[in-house]
Amino acid sequence: MKRFIQHDELARDCRFIRQQNVLTTILASLPDDVDAVVEALDPLSPLIEESVRETAAQPLFDRFGPAFALLVLNEPIRAGADGVAERLKLRMHGIFVGELQALEGAGRSLWDFPEAPWEFKMNMARQCWDEARHVQIYEKLMTHVGVEAGDYPESTFLFECACSDDPAMRVAGVNRGLEGLACDVFRDLIRYAEDTGDEKMKQAVDYVLADEITHVRFGSEWVKEFTRGDPEHFERTQEFRREVDKQFSFGGSRSDREDAAVRIAWEDRLEAGFSEQELKELAEISVGGPSQHTMVTAAKILQQRFDARKAGEADEGRA
Amino acid sequence: MSSATPRMYPGASPDERTTFDAYSAFDVPADLRELSGRYDVESTARRVRNFRYAQEWMMMIGGGWMATIPELPVKTGLGKIVWDDAQSADEFGQRLPELRCGKRSVTASEAANDGFAALIQEVSAPESPDLTIEKVTGMFDVLKPHLLAVYDRMQRETDQIADAPTIEILDDVMRRTRKHIVWGDEVLERLCVTDEKRERRRRRLLSVRELLENCGGVTGEIADESHGSAERGEH
Repeated sequence: MKRFIQHDELARDCRFIRQQNVLTTILASLPDDVDAVVEALDPLSPLIEESVRETAAQPLFDRFGPAFALLVLNEPIRAGADGVAERLKLRMHGIFVGELQALEGAGRSLWDFPEAPWEFKMNMARQCWDEARHVQIYEKLMTHVGVEAGDYPESTFLFECACSDDPAMRVAGVNRGLEGLACDVFRDLIRYAEDTGDEKMKQAVDYVLADEITHVRFGSEWVKEFTRGDPEHFERTQEFRREVDKQFSFGGSRSDREDAAVRIAWEDRLEAGFSEQELKELAEISVGGPSQHTMVTAAKILQQRFDARKAGEADEGRA
Repeated sequence: MSSATPRMYPGASPDERTTFDAYSAFDVPADLRELSGRYDVESTARRVRNFRYAQEWMMMIGGGWMATIPELPVKTGLGKIVWDDAQSADEFGQRLPELRCGKRSVTASEAANDGFAALIQEVSAPESPDLTIEKVTGMFDVLKPHLLAVYDRMQRETDQIADAPTIEILDDVMRRTRKHIVWGDEVLERLCVTDEKRERRRRRLLSVRELLENCGGVTGEIADESHGSAERGEH
């Protein structure tokens, strides 16, 4: 078995289809400008359409066009809000495939770095079991909210961004970037479960969050260990983590902004070993993307263009 | 103190003994173990390093496979097994300093010979997502049953009193290994639903088992007892 695989080599059963990661990558680089958002996303319409074909997201695409991702990804999950059931399903499915990729990332850290210290291997092995349980937990929670594995396309963006060939960067990407994002998302989900009185969801996600804090702590400790006595390596690792955090902020959807879909979980992250300085950096890195107002305005324009194209195609068909 | 008072502690002369009843260390509860064992300290230490080698590699291979296996329950099942194998390797490692191998020996792993190292590489070789049967067969139909047989024999034949810490570790490791073998068999029964797939399982089992028998197994000295071969001798 070779070492270091690519994200498109992650094995899946026949229920799953892939989403092109370019959409997520573009979201991370968009400015807070309606025209720029529209011009970046409109050409991707055929790609997005292809990736949702025959999935539960196809009706959303048919209704909103390529903007559906903006409307779904970038709006908070709040009890009683319009469309929250659909957003919750998408969020839950996104977490489920994220846990799958975290499982695979932890497992590959065992195989890819055979010379790593034994304590590192023990931590990664424990993480394998934890992530496997998380996959099982979220499979149950998906059923709980009415969605099943493979209902939506899977982006392997998390694995692609986080899985560096350098062990210090791997743990920075997987254990601090990916698992840190998980802390933010799960704290948000716990709030939603509290608001809706969903004890099953609240308790299960709270256990998962406790595990993730432990995994971030593994990452915080191993980044220091792998870069001990090599400040230049440490700085490169920090730079890699900043880059991953920027990508994982999805253009400000995960940030400290008032309109963020998911807020940064400061308390949980501090407990996990992030420093105040790192969290301030994260807040700065993630704040620069399009505001929710920009996204909604852009989404309306994209939907108008999409509807116009559909009407044009229908006219051509009749002619 | 009066001479009629029962002594609580022995004195220096023969008539200054305590009055407590005399028992052997094996009387309560009755303990029929004898001071004898097949392996001396050095031999046990070498075997523990061999066992640790196998457990550590199974942990790493399972970790690598999770991304290459499409069946969800196999992925998640391996997650737990990887952690079990890590704990087993760790427990074996913790025993090594107690067997005069030095403080730093807790992470010492040693293949019995090049043949066993090659066997491990062969077990790890299936990579493509359509090879779950070959992956699971090599590890769960051949390697783990072999290890269970060797652990079981070691547990029975090592010095039951002097080497009891190794026996305790083997208890834990064998409990986990038995569960893994049952799990692997259930997975393979579920996956091998056609003659062609059952034949793939059979072919893989035979080819890995041949390598195992040729190299003498995890210790290099014991043929696979689970198939009735005789031990080639140790001590």
